[in-house]
Amino acid sequence: MIQKTKELLLNPWFQLVLSVLFVTTSEVFLKRGAVQAPRLPEEVNWTGVSGLASLDVWYGILFVIASFVNWLYVLRFIPLTIAFPLSNFVHVLVPLSSWFFLNEYISAQRWCGIALVLLGVLIVAKPVARMEEKL
Amino acid sequence: MTLFSALLIFVALILFVGAQLFLKHAMESDFRSARFTKCFAIGLSTMTASFFITLGLLQHFDLSYLYPFQGLSVVIISLLAAAILREKLTPRLFFGAALISAGVVLVSLS
Repeated sequence: MIQKTKELLLNPWFQLVLSVLFVTTSEVFLKRGAVQAPRLPEEVNWTGVSGLASLDVWYGILFVIASFVNWLYVLRFIPLTIAFPLSNFVHVLVPLSSWFFLNEYISAQRWCGIALVLLGVLIVAKPVARMEEKL
Repeated sequence: MTLFSALLIFVALILFVGAQLFLKHAMESDFRSARFTKCFAIGLSTMTASFFITLGLLQHFDLSYLYPFQGLSVVIISLLAAAILREKLTPRLFFGAALISAGVVLVSLS
């Protein structure tokens, strides 16, 4: 059991999935936190620094750091020509989670864009999945 | 859009792409080597620089206006990884990357 868990954690593909999930989670937390943040005078407000007053922003920052560490691990094992396109799956997950968790509206054109990204990710991922099966 | 902001958008994109290439190069080398330290430091600083330039640009432009340029990074990174890092770029991989770029642009235009 421990051996299985360790194998899973050391698997770069699993780390890529984690990285994408962490980026998505961080975006949702950052958006929630940014809305709660107190409004400062205009001269300093553009920096978004007031967001640090919100606990959600800090959760967001933690997830950003975690996803960066996962990403570095991914880079050690997976070619950039595969890992980077796959990491763009966040462009599918972020709109979906803002729709689901934050009740944001998604237009028809945006749904089409999301579908295109998804298709591109699948095209990149399919030969990789076959390659992994052979190993 | 002025010539200067066009330049900033271009610089932010180049820095972001460069950061990914340097970080990738760093992570493939021995962690105790000088090459790792150098590439990791360059990768981290170019990523930080790109982050702050983008933050500055966001003050003047809508996110939906800047996002398509970020979408282009998928295609550019794939091409440069093949050219500089000698990674294998099959037509299929390139087609997938192009679809993702197109998708990101479409999402931000709506």
